[in-house]
Amino acid sequence: MVLGFRAFQGKHTKRIISHALIFIALLICWESASNFGLLDEYLYPKPSGIFHSFWVIYVKNASIWHHLWVTIGLVLLGFVGGSIAGVSLGSLVGFNPTMRRFLQPYIIVIEATPRIAVAPLLIAALGFGIQSKVAIIILVCFFAPFINTLSGVINVGNDKLELFKSLGATKRQILVKLVFPEALPTIMAGERLAMTAALSGALVAEFIQRDQGLGSLILLYSRNLNMSSAFACIFTLTVLGFFIFKGMEILDRRIAFWTYEAGRIQRSNKKARKTLNLLEVGHG
Amino acid sequence: MNVMESAAMGVKTRLNVNTIVKGQSVTKTFADGSVVALSGADFEIEKGSFVSLVGPSGCGKSTLLRLISGLIEPSSGSVNVKGENVVGPRDDVGLMFQKATLLEWRTALENVLLPTEVKRKITHDDEKRAYDLLKLVGLEDFVFSFPAQLSGGMQQRVALARLLQTGADILLLDEPFGALDEFTRERLNIELMRIVTEIEATTIFVTHNISEAIFLSDKVVVMTPRPGKIASVVEVPLERPRSPKMQTSVEFNKLVEHVRDLLGEF
Ligand SMILES: Nc1ncnc2c1ncn2[C@@H]1O[C@H](COP(=O)(O)OP(=O)(O)OP(=O)(O)O)[C@@H](O)[C@H]1O
Ligand SMILES: [Mg+2]
Repeated sequence: MVLGFRAFQGKHTKRIISHALIFIALLICWESASNFGLLDEYLYPKPSGIFHSFWVIYVKNASIWHHLWVTIGLVLLGFVGGSIAGVSLGSLVGFNPTMRRFLQPYIIVIEATPRIAVAPLLIAALGFGIQSKVAIIILVCFFAPFINTLSGVINVGNDKLELFKSLGATKRQILVKLVFPEALPTIMAGERLAMTAALSGALVAEFIQRDQGLGSLILLYSRNLNMSSAFACIFTLTVLGFFIFKGMEILDRRIAFWTYEAGRIQRSNKKARKTLNLLEVGHG
Repeated sequence: MNVMESAAMGVKTRLNVNTIVKGQSVTKTFADGSVVALSGADFEIEKGSFVSLVGPSGCGKSTLLRLISGLIEPSSGSVNVKGENVVGPRDDVGLMFQKATLLEWRTALENVLLPTEVKRKITHDDEKRAYDLLKLVGLEDFVFSFPAQLSGGMQQRVALARLLQTGADILLLDEPFGALDEFTRERLNIELMRIVTEIEATTIFVTHNISEAIFLSDKVVVMTPRPGKIASVVEVPLERPRSPKMQTSVEFNKLVEHVRDLLGEF
């Protein structure tokens, strides 16, 4: 039941250049298609129009910034809330076999239900405002950390547990020195999924409550048939999504470093530099 | 069982000041008594001796080690270490498994330090000792490597260093080098013999390999399955220190054949 992915390995300059060339060619085709009337300009704005909108909403009247920060804040709030909920519930259920047996059917039910379907109920219960928006995000992003923490905690190797017991370790030591680090890579994989889900969740929340944020802005621009601005918002989200994805990957590489070749080498060298001299003292 | 062996086992019923580990009709059953892993085992292990347990799969070798280590309790009978009833893991008994069981997020050095860390706060001297142990097992160039950066044999050597770091003077090794190739295994075995002699440890060593058992041991305990029990104990009168060449001697091969016959009887 572990969810996870590893992507975006190494960058190659050559690849980047060829991708850039293809992308520029694509933009030129798109632009000319619009100019020749092959594309409906109202629905599919020209690249030049989108660039212009970027300039307007970012620089000229700088109207997007507020919404951008609102959405980022919402994503982070919801992500942190969902992670805390997921990891703590996952640990709780993981450490408690009785509870696990009892909750098993409900977990399956929750897994099968699209969580977003409950969003209107949350608004009904919590009213309009930031609290229901955050609740929606928590709802959509808590499950991956939950299930991954649960499986990380229950899949701790029996042989490692025996090792700790034979060394006379306390329950607390087993938890801190074994179970938690052992589950960490799995938990991090869950967190990466949660972060992606949080962004989608934030947009849905803003589609439903159109007061502020990028989601409401896209909705507004589309209604006014200001498609080039809507596209500018969407590409903003692309970039945001990319940074979120990258950020989570960097975090994962730092936290679960031992699952990456590069991380192991780096840590190993660092520790050698730091400690070796101390150890060599008195050994000639 | 021939007369000589019965006599050798008979000695064990007498009080022996040199006895460090003692079992009295130790029985261990699993699955509500339906699986008898070990049945009425009586044994005495002399301080500073090297004892091997041999026997086919499922005859209770690991169970016996786990009983001595205090990881599990006997269903009936008792296990004594230094005259004390074993009720749980002890500081003076160390256990090493067939798999290295290293923590992947720790360097070799940090893995070796684990037993100390569980007991108290690490001091600089502890680190030095762990470092020396890694040197001792030939890993001075891999002190800061993570398990994933080490070969299977190296990982096993880290586990051996970790076992020695416990400071235990009774070492239980469950097929410690079983997963390694012949060459590495022999090298590590010789290294192990040298180390345990040096630190005057008592060693109980589980293996499937009869020659290995005889080469290493003062006594070979032959076990048989269903239900698992101790069939006989064979003394190995070969002189120490032992060298690999001894394995071609007539005396050595007679012992191998003898143990093989004992195992074949069942
Ligand atoms: N935790 C357990 N629960 C149930 N049965 C067990 C357990 N541990 C061991 N057994 C049973 O006890 C018997 C002896 O097991 P043990 O692991 O001691 O054998 P072994 O001699 O070490 O075998 P091998 O050489 O394959 O390691 C086996 O039949 C095994 O199935
Ligand atoms: Mg075994």
